[in-house]
Order: sequence, then C-alpha cells, then structure tokens
Amino acid sequence: MRTHRIRVSIAISCFCLLWVGGFTSLPPRELLGIAPQDEGYYKSDVIKCKDGSKKFTKQQLNDEFCDCPDGTDEPGTSACPEGEFYCRNAGHIPRTIFSSRVNDGVCDCCDGSDEYNGKSNCPNTCWEAGKSAREKLKKKIATHQDGLAIRKQELEKAKQAFAEDEAELLKLKNEEKILKGLVEKLREHKERIEKAEEEERLRKEKEEKKQREAERKSTEQNRPSEESAQYQSEGTQDTPMEMNSQDSVEIGHEPVVPPENEYNSRIEIPAVHNVGQKQVADNIGESITSGHGSDDVNNEIPSGHAADQEHISGNTEGLSREELGRLVASRWTGEHAEERTNEPNDANGEQEEQNQDFSDSAEEENYDSYNSDNDEDRHKFDDDDIQDVAAEEYGNHVEPDGSYDHDKDYKSEFPGSPSWLDKIKQTVQNIIQAFSFFKSPVDLSVASRVKKEYDDASSKLSKIQSRISGLSEKLKHDFGKEKDFYSFYDRCFENKQNKYIYKVCPFKKASQVEGHSSTQLGRWENFDESYRVMQFSNGDRCWNGPDRSLKVRLRCGLKDDLADVDEPSRCEYVAILSTPIICLEEKLKELQQKLEDMNKRQPSTHDEL
Amino acid sequence: MGGLNRRSPDALIFLIFLVFLASLTSAWKKDEFRSCRQTPFCKRARGRAPNSLPSFSVADVSLSDGAVSARLVPAPTLRQVTDDDPSAADGDDASSRSLLLRLSVYRGGILRLEIDEDPSSAPTTKRRFRLPDVLLPNLDDRRLWLSRLSPDGASATSFYLADGFEGVLRHDPFQIVVRRAGSGGEPVLSLNSHGLFDFEQLRAKKDDENWEENFRSHTDSRPNGPQSISFDVSFHGADFVYGIPEHASTSLSLRPTRGPGVDESEPYRLFNLDVFEYLHDSPFGIYGSIPFMLSHGTRSTSGFFWLNAAEMQIDVLAPGWDDPAAPNAGRVDTFWMSEAGVVDAFFFVGPGPKDVLRQYASVTGTQAMPQEFAVAYHQCRWNYRDEEDVAAVDAGFDEHDIPYDVLWLDIDHADGKRYFTWDRVLFPHPEEMQNKLAAKGRHMVTIVDPHIKRDDSFYLHKEATEKGYYVKDASGKDFDGWCWPGSSSYPDMLNPEIREWWAEKFSLKEYVGSTPSLYIWNDMNEPSVFNGPEVTMPRDAIHMGGVEHRELHNAYGYYFHMATSNGLFKRGNGKDRPFVLSRAIFAGSQRYGAIWTGDNSADWDHLRVSVPMILNLGLAGMSFSGADVGGFFGNPENDLLVRWYQLGAYYPFFRAHAHHDTKRREPWLFGEHNTALMREAIHTRYSLLPYYYTLFREAAVTGIPVMRPLWLEFPSDKETYDNGEAFLVGSSLLVHGIYEKDQKSASVYLPSGASWYNLRNGVKFDGGVSHKLAVSEDSIPSFQRAGTIIPRKDRFRRSSTQMVNDPYTLVIALNGSLAAEGELYIDDGKSYDFEQGAYIHRRFIFTDRKLTSIDIRPSNVGDKKFSTDCTVERIILLGLPSGAKKAVVEPGNHETNIELGPLTLRRASPPVALTIRKPNVRVTDDWSLRIL
Repeated sequence: MRTHRIRVSIAISCFCLLWVGGFTSLPPRELLGIAPQDEGYYKSDVIKCKDGSKKFTKQQLNDEFCDCPDGTDEPGTSACPEGEFYCRNAGHIPRTIFSSRVNDGVCDCCDGSDEYNGKSNCPNTCWEAGKSAREKLKKKIATHQDGLAIRKQELEKAKQAFAEDEAELLKLKNEEKILKGLVEKLREHKERIEKAEEEERLRKEKEEKKQREAERKSTEQNRPSEESAQYQSEGTQDTPMEMNSQDSVEIGHEPVVPPENEYNSRIEIPAVHNVGQKQVADNIGESITSGHGSDDVNNEIPSGHAADQEHISGNTEGLSREELGRLVASRWTGEHAEERTNEPNDANGEQEEQNQDFSDSAEEENYDSYNSDNDEDRHKFDDDDIQDVAAEEYGNHVEPDGSYDHDKDYKSEFPGSPSWLDKIKQTVQNIIQAFSFFKSPVDLSVASRVKKEYDDASSKLSKIQSRISGLSEKLKHDFGKEKDFYSFYDRCFENKQNKYIYKVCPFKKASQVEGHSSTQLGRWENFDESYRVMQFSNGDRCWNGPDRSLKVRLRCGLKDDLADVDEPSRCEYVAILSTPIICLEEKLKELQQKLEDMNKRQPSTHDEL
Repeated sequence: MGGLNRRSPDALIFLIFLVFLASLTSAWKKDEFRSCRQTPFCKRARGRAPNSLPSFSVADVSLSDGAVSARLVPAPTLRQVTDDDPSAADGDDASSRSLLLRLSVYRGGILRLEIDEDPSSAPTTKRRFRLPDVLLPNLDDRRLWLSRLSPDGASATSFYLADGFEGVLRHDPFQIVVRRAGSGGEPVLSLNSHGLFDFEQLRAKKDDENWEENFRSHTDSRPNGPQSISFDVSFHGADFVYGIPEHASTSLSLRPTRGPGVDESEPYRLFNLDVFEYLHDSPFGIYGSIPFMLSHGTRSTSGFFWLNAAEMQIDVLAPGWDDPAAPNAGRVDTFWMSEAGVVDAFFFVGPGPKDVLRQYASVTGTQAMPQEFAVAYHQCRWNYRDEEDVAAVDAGFDEHDIPYDVLWLDIDHADGKRYFTWDRVLFPHPEEMQNKLAAKGRHMVTIVDPHIKRDDSFYLHKEATEKGYYVKDASGKDFDGWCWPGSSSYPDMLNPEIREWWAEKFSLKEYVGSTPSLYIWNDMNEPSVFNGPEVTMPRDAIHMGGVEHRELHNAYGYYFHMATSNGLFKRGNGKDRPFVLSRAIFAGSQRYGAIWTGDNSADWDHLRVSVPMILNLGLAGMSFSGADVGGFFGNPENDLLVRWYQLGAYYPFFRAHAHHDTKRREPWLFGEHNTALMREAIHTRYSLLPYYYTLFREAAVTGIPVMRPLWLEFPSDKETYDNGEAFLVGSSLLVHGIYEKDQKSASVYLPSGASWYNLRNGVKFDGGVSHKLAVSEDSIPSFQRAGTIIPRKDRFRRSSTQMVNDPYTLVIALNGSLAAEGELYIDDGKSYDFEQGAYIHRRFIFTDRKLTSIDIRPSNVGDKKFSTDCTVERIILLGLPSGAKKAVVEPGNHETNIELGPLTLRRASPPVALTIRKPNVRVTDDWSLRIL
C-alpha cells in the first residue's frame, strides 16, 4: 500500500520542482494528498471510488466529507478513516501517511503538508532530514558494497570448503570400507590367537591344579594370618570424608596392581568413571541429608526445585514470615521463593553448590573461583539448570563448547596423505603371512602384535566413522542457495550484556551464559524469511512460560557481530547478527535506486555543492 | 552447565512431571482463606435459627434534634452459651446493657439507622469504630427535621420518610420497617423481622478467657474480644437482589447462599483480599467491598447500605430458609454479619431503580468526572521494561493506525520497587519519555502501591519512620510485612495528616521524573501483605487513635486511593482532574477515580464474568470500572483476545493488561486479520467517546452508571432481571457479549417496549423477543434503541486528545412515531471549569421530521463558558421512510443533501441508512434541520 515505487516522468518532476518552490502556500484542494502517479485518476469530473462502491464528483474531492469508505474521495483530509495522505517531501523521500494524521497537530510530513488548517506550524525540514537520510543511505550503500566484496570471498571459501568436505567424506567412506575389511581380518586372527591362548591357559591351569592338589596340606595352615592383615588395612580408614577420598585414590590406583595383565587397558577407563559415580552417590546422599529434612528423595534431588513446588502448591505452615512473604510473592512472579534468599546457610543453596561442584569436576574443568562467583543472582536460573540436566540426559548438551573444533584434532591425527592406510594394509598383510604358519603354543610376540594392530586399527576405524558421521551431519544442513552460511557451521557468535554472555552457534544451539551456568535459549531450527532470520527453538523451559526460543535477525555488516539481544516477551529472545554474508547484490541495487530517487527529488533551490 | 546428568532417569522424569503438574494445578488457594466456618463470628451468627435469640425491645422513644432516638433493651432472658462467649450465660453486664438507637431521615427517601453502645455504661475505654470520611460531608444539610411521631398500633411508632413512604419502629421485639404510607401500606424494607439482630457489646476480659483466634500460622490477639453485629434485612416486593460487590459471579443477581436448594453454602464475603487467580464464580471476597445491596422486582426497587468497614459476610436466603413449608414469595431475605463496628445503615425506598441509585449516590457521592483521555483506550503490561520498549510500543500503535491514550508502567519501572523513583538504568529520561507521548496527546501512568520498602536510604521510608506514619503492629512497632520490595511498611491512611503528607509526594517537585501528563495507579491496597493472614494485614494491627485494622480493613484501600487522588488534585492546583486507578474499593471510591476487577485470567469464563461484575460495581456506585482486556494471567487464544477487545471496548474503563510471564499482546502481534479486528474494536470505542463522555457526566451528576443492567432501563420487563450477558451503555446502546469459542449464533434478548437497530447493518428488531442471531467474527451484537440519538466522532486520531476539533456524527434511531432524543455533553476534558458552567450540554430532539438542538445547560451554573468550533458533519437516520432527498438547516436556510450512506466509515460497509451530508452546524449553537 505504501510503496515508494514511484516512476517520475520528466513532466511531473518539473512540476514538482516548481511546486516545491512555493511549499509554504497550500496546494489546490483537489491536489491535496494525492500521489503524482495518481493524479490522472482524479482528472475526470465524475470519479469512481477505488473499491467500486460509488462515484463522486470533483466537488466532492477533498470536501471534508467521506463518500468512499476506502477514502478515495478524501486523499487530502482526515474525513475517511481508512484513507491515506501522500506527502511529496521534496528533498527527502515521499511518504504516505494515514489520513488520521492530517491536521492532528503533529508534523508527520517533513514538508509540513499534512498540517494545513493553521492550527500548528510545521516548518519544512525535508532538506535537513533528507540530507541526513541520504548520508545514512550512502553509508548503508557503502557497507553493502564492501560487504558484498567480502561476501563474494566468503562464498568462494564456503564453496571450496563444501567441496573439500564432500570430497573428504567420499574418501573417508572409501577408507572406511577398506579399513573395515582389515579390522575384520585382524579380529579373526586375534580371536584365533585368543582361543589358542585360552586353551593354553586351561591346560596350564590343569597342571597347576594337580600341583596344588599335591601341595594342599602344606599351604592350608597359612590362611588365618592373611585374613587378619586384611582387617588391619580396613581399620586405617578414619572419617567418612577421608574415606571418600581414599576410596577414589584406591580405585584410581587399582590398575597399578592389576589382577591380570591382559585386562589392564580395559580396566583403566571404567575406573575413572567409578570415581565419578561414587561422587554422584555421595553427593546425592549428602543432598538428601542437607535438604529440607524428611522429604522424599525424589523431591530433594532437583536442587530444591521440587520442594518449591511443594510449597507453592500446598502447605505453607511452618515457614518463617519472610519465607511466606517470598513464597506468596512468587505466585505472581513465578520466581522461586528462595531465589532472593541470601542466607549463607541456605540448605538448597548448599546442596546446589555441591551438585554444581560435582558437575564441574565431571566436565574436568577447573572452577576454583566458583565459590567467589556465587552471588545471589546465579539462583535465578535454578529451574533452568534442572532443565539443562534433562536436556543433557537426552544427549543435547553432550558436546562441551570447545568440541566444535574437533576437526583440528582429527586432522592432526589423520594427515592429508593416505599413507597411514597403506601402512596398515602392509602390516595386516605381514601378520596374515605370519599366521600362515600359525601354530600352538602361541608365539607371544606375534600374538601381542596382532592384538595391538587390531586395537590400533579398530580405534582408527571408529575415529573415521565418527568423522564420517560428523561430516554427514554437517552436510545435510541447508546452508543457503550458494552455501552462503557454510562457514557459520563451526562458529559461535558472542555478545556480552551486563552479566550475561549470549552465545549463538548456528546450526547447533544458542545459550545464555552467566558465570558458570548456562541456559539454553534454543536448538537450531532453521532459516526463516528467506535466510534473513535464524531460528532457535525448544530451549530450556521457562518457569510458567514457553520453552525458550531465539530469533536472530541477519543484517548486512562488514564484520560478524552479534548485537541487541533482547527478550521482548518472556523467554522469547531476539538478536541481531551483522554479517557480510547477507550483503546482497539486489539489496544494494535497491538502495542505490533509492538514493538516486532521492537525489532526483532535491529541490532546485538546494543544489548539493 | 554440566551437572547432574548422571542422575537416574526415573528421578528426572518424576521431576519433569512435578514441574508439569505444578503448572497445571489450579492456583486458587482455598485453604489460605477463611471460610465462614473458620470465622467464629460468622459461624456462630450463621448457626442461629430465626427468632431464637433473646430479643431487644424499644424503650424511651423520643424526638431529639429532629431524629428519632430510643434505647434498645435486651430481654431479661439469659443469653445462650456460645463458643466464643462462654461466660455470657452468667448474667454478664454486656448482655444486660441497653443500646442506643437513632433513626434519621434524609431528603429523597433515605432512612438512616444508627445503633451503638451506650457510652455512659461502657465497661471499657475502647469505643466502637465509626468509619469517617465516607459519607458525603454535606449529607447533614439534607437531613429532614422530624417534628412528629405517630403511634402505630399498640407497640410501634411511625414517622414521615418521604412522600408516600414512612418509617416504622416496632417496639417488641425491636424491628424497623420502611413501608408505603398508611397503616395498611406494603412494606418495602424491614430489619430484624426474623429476629436475628445480635450485638456483642464490648466487655472487660475475664482472667480465664482467651480471646485469641488462630488461623493457619497466624494468631490474632483480639485485644477487645468479641464485638460482632448481625441482623436480617428483608427486601419486600423483590424478585432479585444485586450489588455488594466485589465478587466474581457469572450471575447478574445475587444467588441464594443458604436455604433450600443451595449446595455449597458460603455467604458473600466482603473482605478486601488479594486473591491469586481468583475463581470466576464464587461468593468469596476479592479486592473490594461495597456493603450496598439493592433489590428489584415488579412491584418495588429498594436498597440497603451498611456503612461498616470490618469484615462482613452476607447471606442471601433462599425462599423457605426459615420455614421450608411456607417459602416466602415476592420477598428476598438477607442476613448481614460483621466482625466489628456499629450499625450505621441506610434504607433507600426507591421506588424506581434509578431512584435507589440516586439515593445511594446522595449518601456516598457520585463518580468523579474523569478526564476525557481516561475514557479512551489504555495500554498496559507488566512490564514495559524500558524507554526503548515504551517507544517501540508507542510506535507500534502509530504504525498500525490504532489509537491509544495511555501507556502504563507497572512495578518494575521503579528502582527496586521504591515507588516515586525510577530504575535509572531502564528509564534514564522519564520526563523526556512522557513528553514524547504527550506530544501526541498521550499520557502515562505509573504504579504507586502502599507498601513502602523498609530501606533506610529510601527517603519515603525514612520520613515515614521518623514521623511515625506507619501502621503499627499489635506490639506497637511499625508493622513490617512482605510485599514486592521485600520487607515493607504501610502508611496509616486513616490519619488525615498522613494522607496530606502522602498527597504532597505527588507534586512535580517531590515526584522526581514526573510530568503533568503522568497519572497514577494504586495496586495492592487491600492491603496485600504476602506473609500476612489471608495475604493481608493482621487484624490486630493498629491505626490512628488505637483503631484496630479489623475495624477499617475494607476501607484501607479507599483511604489510600483518596490520598493519592488528592495528591494529583493538589499537583494540578485544583485545575487538573486526577486519574487514579485503584484495585481495592469501598463505598465512596467512585469519588476518587477508576477501579478494575483485578487479576483475572485469559479464559472465556473470565470474559463472561466481567460483565456481571462491572454491572454490579456500577449499581454500587462505581461507574468507572473495567476488567483487564485479554485476561491478566495466561495467554488468550487469538479469538478470545479479539472477543475481549470487542467487549472491552464497551467497558467504562477500557484497558488491556497482562502478566509478565505472558506472551506479548500488543494488538498487532496476531496477524493482519486479527489486528484489523482489534483496531476496529478500539475504533468503535473512540467513535463513541462523545457518547461515553456524556454518560460520565450523567454518572457524575446523578450516580446512574455508564454501563447498566437492562432492568435499570426496563424495570418492568421481567426477562431482563437476571440477564448478565447483555448490558446497556447509557440508555440507548445494547451490547451482547460473545463468550464462547467458535460461537456461530447468539440468542439475544432485546427488552420490550422499544425496537432496536442493529448497528452493523441498520436492521430493525422487535423488543420483548429473544432473537437468534448469526455471529460473525468481526463484531459482537450491538443495537441502538429506537427513539434515541447517539453522538459520535467517526474520524480517528492517534489519541482522543487529538480528536477535540473533529466534527460529530449523529446517529438517530427513530421509534414508531418517528421521534428520537439524545444528549451531548462537552467540556474541556480536563479541568474543573465545568463546575463554573464551562460546558456545552445539548439535547437533540427529532420529531415531525425536524431535528432540533437545544441548550439544556442551566443558566445559573456559573459564568465560565466553554466554546468549540466543532460541527456536525453527518447525520445518520435509521427508521425514516426513504424518499427524503434534502434537508433545510435553520438559521441560514441552507439546503443540504440526503443520500444513502454506510453506518460506519469502514471499508466495504454497505450504504444502508439515510445520511444527511454536511449539515455543518456548530454543536454550540441552537439550530434545527427540517427533512424535506
């Protein structure tokens, strides 16, 4: 409706210039508010309402009485509520305004033409306004021009990267196939060796058994002293706290005295996990005892949240006056009653810290400064934390942030040339040859070599496979018509606002980080509005609100820059990301056209020097 | 976050389930509020059978000071042992002391009954509380000086009340009857005709007594012991009773709360409470209390008002409550109970519905005349966060050509909920922000609540503490309760000195960052105290003069509203009409501003309940009220939101509001189609502003509400008596809400004795019939009554302020004899100059094919004049046989054309009505227009 698409014939623009010269005087009634391209429509003596509802005479044009409900007959007055008024705004951009703005006391058109009843004084500011608008437009055009250049480079890179990735994927798939075959072969040999070893072991055992049988009488009397030694070692454990640490140390050290060499490497890994699990159990145990008391375990685990629920939905007896006040307030705000409680002995807080500590250690990150960071505001996202847990449990948060870079690790291990594959092939070949004269008992050096080669090859295979799945995952995304956004895949954009850091990782997720806690604002959904908006949805659930979501609007800029993160509606975030990627040719042309139009309409009295 | 991801999935699922469950369960906390059974005075009073108490008899009847005075002497019978008062049985002096009674008569059919203890025989120094500042100060000027008492039979005394009415005082047992004159005259109202009058007199506490009351974890020390009052009031000749707001009810009339056929038996409770997510249909007490009930029936309309601000419980008794074998017909019995105070009650004789409203208004006052902008559309949300947000919302309205007049800021605009301050991070330039709005004729409202943050660095708290201006707790310390800012105290608004102090805080100098276009919103003034009993202040808190909070609880918000309103009055040097929205209300709140129905929910039931709520508020004097459009809690579906705008556009107070957890709700966020529908609804209100403003004038003069139940205008049409789905705006416009999703048709009852024109298409409908009408999404059914003229302004602006110079449209709906009448009131829209006569008041009369505008402004109202150049640009005639082509305007004798035109100037509206083009007569002038 209010398009600024105006084709100005030479005749009309001449007229314009003339007319503008006398802008302080009122235009003739029958021209008020009519766009130049529309003047023809009003030429005849009897004019049709544009909606076809009626006809009106030239006398009824702009006569302050609405004849056409669509406003055709009153382009220059406020008589028709649905009408529109056209300001020429010579020196600036012409504008169409609602007829409700005509003679309402507010200067809407920079040429002042909308206020002509003498009640308000609207000076013509088009020249000034137009000048700054033109400046702005010029800047915008410059940005688009430069941005476009960067975009082109970026597109080249993206295309290349895309091609490389595709090629790599193809190659990897091929390698995977070969490697699979080799691993299969090695596995067969390994199993045969193991079988032979097992037989050997059984045989030996039999022999030993016989031997032991013979020696039984002499060994029997030593047993009691062994048992007492065992008791003694248990007795050295003192306080429960120490026991925890000692436990983990002991478990951690277990591999040092392995019961059987053969399982050495396999035990080591789970042992580390055991430490973690033990801590979980301990922490849960502590949280139960340090929580509200006799409540049921399930209520207590979620850092006091379920306990809040309990209070909100039911019994408020036994709360302190302040707790009750907070609790009742929280019904309206949806915040936690405990949220603003800043008591050092707050049970929930303590418990949460412990959980938090645990989680930190589980991620093998060093959070020494954690406790000092622990200000009251952190509690704000208690509920979200729980949701985080929920999400992680289902594998959404699994990757720590740094992991988007795993390409690098991969590439250093698998350098470009495929010589490693040849090497493996060769080795396997050798082994197979070696096994052609396979015999029992097993040659220990051959056996360990086969096992080692098998382990190496299958670990390489699984690395290749994970790389394949990573690449396939990446390549299935929609990166735009010209793979415009390919480079965004492994990047994150950050914006700091007060205490929050907003982190947007296209194709992955967006989060709000505050200190050590992070709230997921959304998982990648798609591009919207023809690649002008990135949508992240299904983020962490909001208390009493929707799941969090984020809409990132893309704007042409010379640098990738995340800005203006905002939350206009509860838990619905918006942000702006400037990037050269969307500095488009069409838009540049449109802007240039606009500038050209503006320049054309400069009044003759104000030639730019 | 990493965290607890190795927790067992079961626990996790359970947790998610808990969260889910919590979001589903109803938030209504029934147990946190006292039922009648948990309220000893209510339980006890309610347990009594009629005529079971030892009665009072009347002695020493005399005329003194032009009023009837007498003593009420308790019967010598021993009082019954009660739970609360176990010692009463042993002949305690409290039950043998007599009470003082006084009956006075006021002009216009008002009888006042006062009963209090006799101070000369009082055993304690405590005096019962009489609520000041509610009755109009000039009430006594209208008292009639009674000069004669007549014996009425052997044991009664009668006296003049009004023409055709008399008051009767029956002696034994004591009873008050208002009846039509003459000894055989029909009774209209009676008190104690069922012998339920009881008055617990103050007495000294015995050593073994414990007066404490416990509710949940709260203890009420009740230092003055039991002091409740109860009695029965009968409304004779009544089919229904109405009023005693504020309750949420889908029914217009008050349904019986006790007696045969009543299942859930709780009385209507009047106790101002901040109820989280109140139910849409419950006798439960919510934010306001107006102890005024009125009755209506084919034979009579009457009213009863008990001036008492303590907790009140009122039963409406179902026919047969006293004797199931002989249910009373043509009478409604009610039972009134209050925890404290005195009997200071008013009987209003009617006889017509509007008479009763005028009589009540002559006691408690009429609606304060609002500024014109306040009658327009208000945009609110908890919270418009910062100046950018305000600017963006403001721009959004302009961009979508939707007018609005007021943008509201909720609690988060202030610095840490310290009202009168600004969060300077979010609102660094409050004056500039307000001025930008003001440049478009728009205003801003900020919230100022009564809880003051207990923060020594907050000037208000410091001052209030130093001056001792806070309400005290039972131990005499400043009462400390929890509200939005955390630990808070509450100014003692009962004290006039403190109210004056408070009022000063609104001066432009003291309220830093305020400008003359800023107005105020008083929320949480029940008062809401998050950690108090029933989320309010403990009853044993102490106000000025040792008055206990229990004695004035229901009026705390009233005093706060009064003080704030007075603050704005002073700020404008008495030249600018205040606008203050309050949530808590009491009788008389109408004198101080607007009120709204509090924290409703975004569901269809709450849309429906808004109409009976607003109607009952209107009947009880509160003309300027409305419900949050869209519903405060929750997210309305698109169609609900649209329907709410369509209905809300007719509320006297039209404001959209939403909780901060809800999705954004500005009218342009729901797609172009819905934007258009909401724009149209808002436009409807703006075009009717001249009519609304005229009705507000009527309300300000007479007390007749802007939004009226049908029976107020059609008192003899029984079909209308309990119609809570439709309402009248003034006497000329009927609106029927659409309260269901996907409703395709509506059954609309149009009152008898008039025809009605559908305002969408001009089609005429008969009255006295229920019409089944197809319903479209673009509007709700609305009709203009035949025989009326409605003034409109059909041009739209950004705000009502910008419409002042725009021309008028008159819509004339002719009745069977081709006649119609209507009024238009105009003044400057903001000052008090109208009190000196600076206004225009015209009556338009159409008869014999001639429309005449006559001046009905009395010549003796003052010297000031108001003038305007506004003209009438269009006259729409409904019901005139076609054929008319021209009209002649006098004076000037100029001709103007008549043609077919649309009813509204919206796109694609068909030409269905004769329209007089451009008569261009000035609204200030006398003129006539003859149809040729």
